[in-house]
Amino acid sequence: MTALLRVENLRIELATRLGVAPVIDDVSFELAAGETLSFVGESGCGKSMTALAIMGLLPDKVGRIAAGKILFNGEDMTQASDERLRSLRGNDISMIFQEPMTSLNPVFTIGEQIAEVLRRHKQMDKRDAWKRAAELLDAVRIPDATHRVGHYPHQLSGGQRQRVMIAMALACEPKVLIADEPTTALDVTIQAQIFDLLEDLRKDMGTAIIMITHDMGVVAEMADRMIVMYAGRKIEQGDVHTVLDHPRHPYTKGLIACVPHLVATLDEHRPPLTEVSGIVPGLQEFGKNECLFASRCDRVVERCLRERPTEQRFDKDQVSACWQANTL
Amino acid sequence: MSGNTNIDQARHPAADAVAMFFKNKPAIVALFVLVLIIIAGLIGPLLYPIDPFDMVWAPFGLPGEDGFILGTDYLGRDLFAGILHGTRVSLQVGLTAALMTVLIGVTVGALAGYFLGWVEEVLMRITEFFQVLPTLLFSMVIVALFGASLPMITFAIGLVSWPAVARITRAEFLRIRELEYVTASRAAGAKNLKLIFKVILPNALPPIIVQAALMVGSAILFEAGLSFLGLTDPNIVSWGQIIGSNRPYILDASYTVTFPGLAIFITVLCLSLVGDGLNDALNPKLRQR
Amino acid sequence: MSQEHTGQADGASSSVAHTGQTDPLTVHSKTKPVVDANVLLRVDNLRVRFPVKGGLFARKQWLNAVDDISFTIRRGETLALVGESGSGKTTAALAVAQLVKTYQGAIKLGDTDWLALSDEQLRVARARMQFIFQDPYSSLNPRLKAEDIVREPLESLQSVPRADHQGIVDRMFESVGLRAEQKKLFPHQFSGGQRQRIGIARALVTRPELIICDEPVSALDVAVQAQILNLLKQLQQDYGLTYLLISHDLGVVQHMCDSIAVMYMGKIVEHADRLSLFNNPLHPYTQALLSAVPSVDRELRQKRKRIVIQGDIPDALNLPSGCRFASRCPRVTDICRTTEPELKRHDVKQSAQSSGEHSVACHLVD
Repeated sequence: MTALLRVENLRIELATRLGVAPVIDDVSFELAAGETLSFVGESGCGKSMTALAIMGLLPDKVGRIAAGKILFNGEDMTQASDERLRSLRGNDISMIFQEPMTSLNPVFTIGEQIAEVLRRHKQMDKRDAWKRAAELLDAVRIPDATHRVGHYPHQLSGGQRQRVMIAMALACEPKVLIADEPTTALDVTIQAQIFDLLEDLRKDMGTAIIMITHDMGVVAEMADRMIVMYAGRKIEQGDVHTVLDHPRHPYTKGLIACVPHLVATLDEHRPPLTEVSGIVPGLQEFGKNECLFASRCDRVVERCLRERPTEQRFDKDQVSACWQANTL
Repeated sequence: MSGNTNIDQARHPAADAVAMFFKNKPAIVALFVLVLIIIAGLIGPLLYPIDPFDMVWAPFGLPGEDGFILGTDYLGRDLFAGILHGTRVSLQVGLTAALMTVLIGVTVGALAGYFLGWVEEVLMRITEFFQVLPTLLFSMVIVALFGASLPMITFAIGLVSWPAVARITRAEFLRIRELEYVTASRAAGAKNLKLIFKVILPNALPPIIVQAALMVGSAILFEAGLSFLGLTDPNIVSWGQIIGSNRPYILDASYTVTFPGLAIFITVLCLSLVGDGLNDALNPKLRQR
Repeated sequence: MSQEHTGQADGASSSVAHTGQTDPLTVHSKTKPVVDANVLLRVDNLRVRFPVKGGLFARKQWLNAVDDISFTIRRGETLALVGESGSGKTTAALAVAQLVKTYQGAIKLGDTDWLALSDEQLRVARARMQFIFQDPYSSLNPRLKAEDIVREPLESLQSVPRADHQGIVDRMFESVGLRAEQKKLFPHQFSGGQRQRIGIARALVTRPELIICDEPVSALDVAVQAQILNLLKQLQQDYGLTYLLISHDLGVVQHMCDSIAVMYMGKIVEHADRLSLFNNPLHPYTQALLSAVPSVDRELRQKRKRIVIQGDIPDALNLPSGCRFASRCPRVTDICRTTEPELKRHDVKQSAQSSGEHSVACHLVD
């Protein structure tokens, strides 16, 4: 596997009222060209923070990369100049956000906003950029695209706005597209449309996708590989089917079992849902040399409280950071 | 259930606001100065019992002459005694007018924002009527018609100032009435009066409190303005009245106008800084920093 | 349950047996009689509409958010109203609770004609029907302590002597899994899941017969959702509660409900018991909806055909003359564009467990 993007031992520190907390704590992973990698976990586990770090968009003064490397095509982005980052951000790595409502500027037409990206990064002239904007809208299946380029964001539905965001993200044919909960604000039939679109674009353009989500169903449906995050740490990683069929971390197991899923044939059997008790620890707990899931874990042993679990490797590149991974 | 086991004490939301306020240095200094001014207004005249209307010295005595710290005015009256006695009057006018403003403004705004429909239409038209009146002119007319007594001046100031509070209150009510906890109270069987005064109003207070603090300052300014134009009770000394009566001599004895002007300036500045501090402290978005 | 709770707001409600109720699975064993004494809530031809402001000279327009829907819920059961945004499911729930005004129709809770009540009677009768809100952050008054939030319905309703309030509130805290020392805390000191527990305690404190749950877990983290769903099920068993559940999450609906009504643009398009609906959806919209839900179940993913319906919901102010789903329906025919289909019984005995109660509003289903 040739890695397009390689993150090595990334540590991101966030300054809070209670001190400095490692919101990303020694996380490494690779992304190959054309694959979909999914980050899963509850809110506050560091999924979005990883994405922002890759984009070079960590909040100023509050967050900083304390250690580690983010290598894109061999180039370390943590050392790159702001100028270089801006260029990478438009051309090679793009991001779409959860809330399509607030991610578009309400005072410009969608055509102007897409054309602006093209002119900045592709040095297109006004006319070409406008034409290309209409083509992109068509590519993301907005009906009557040549007419719609002149519309303002508020004239579009939520699903259409998210498609405009995708069109903008794809304007420069990026090699990596980061999608942060792209469908959470949308209805499921619209979600299905967006997923179809992303899947097609991946096939046609070979864009690698990082899909950030809390929904195991989405992971199963969309991703090739997955990384489960908990309290700023990577606690499990592997091929989607391998992990879903045989999770090797109690948290992954809990995340899969705690959601009532649709199944092939429903019957009268409805056992209570498996609960993962408690909540994600507060930031002041982050970074401790112990398993941060221990307080919610039903298989906790003394060692979990004493030592942060090391990553253990299994077949098919499955990795679990649990002292009991072998017995799971 | 585990969860927030580390929190074992009830922490009223207001406690956070107070903590936040005390992090704001200009606001604390301003509050401290204000407290000094209020104390001066309350007990100053007792400690410095010179009647501000007595001619105690030659006119235009310079500051420091013969023990009169700030000198004397055109009639030979002690300027320091005037400012000290005026403190109480100016603060009284400011606070009373602000209170009246809040009472009228909150009532009108709350009813308009809660009941909507024709109630809102009528009340907001009335509010707009008062808002488009030229405030200084209107208050001058009232004072001129009904006499320049202190209560009448205060009333006039309150009457022209309440629309701002009414608009803020209405806007807050319109926002809060849509929140689910208000619907929840309704589902729990709460009556209209309870919804208005016990559920919505307490949550609408922060911007109203800020506005009230600023209102005290603007009422003091307003009173000074009216006094400057001579529309004041000549038997009561206030800061504006001192400036007004010494106005003709502003070039020859500028200190007679400067010192009371400074008193107004410092007081209003402090009120404004405290208002800003309250605004930051009561704004939950800033508080999370 | 506590003896203090016997003081009910309305004599009619004293007939509610808090006996753990019948097993929800056996309720369906008989075919539905025309008048069912076991029906707690009966909604007939409910319509809710909102005025829409047009331009200065435009004619006043009405948006029919809920357009002629009827359903019943039997005691101890759970009915889900499902649908996407704009389907009218939440408006329907608010109308049943009389938190928005109804335009037409009838709502009966037990023997009480809910719409015939005066304002004051309704205020008192609210004790019998309570609401659990979607957003645990905005649904709790930030200035009240947790125990005061839970106590509020008791105080407003005056159905129970004041001296008994504290005891009832204390027991409620225990029932929903909150610790006694948390009573004095303010909402912002709780996590989302704990806040929702407070909301549930508030809804339960008057011992209502019907609880309307509007997306009770959609604002919570996945791991916390299970805690709340299990709690709701447990409370249903313990207190013999009847739920009207509003949800867009078909997984949650599948787990929680006895029957399901699928709404699209203000109409019920399909209404069936749980097994019929999930194992044999008839309406093309329901089929598309079910096929669009991402699932971890590999068998389901391999078995099913993804039906991706194109486009967005049409403009609710300019409704098409025929079936409202026609513009997006993959199986649309000519009659769909001209004639609006009625919701008709379509009983199929497909399995021994299924009651065969199945209504659908589609020309293509016979």
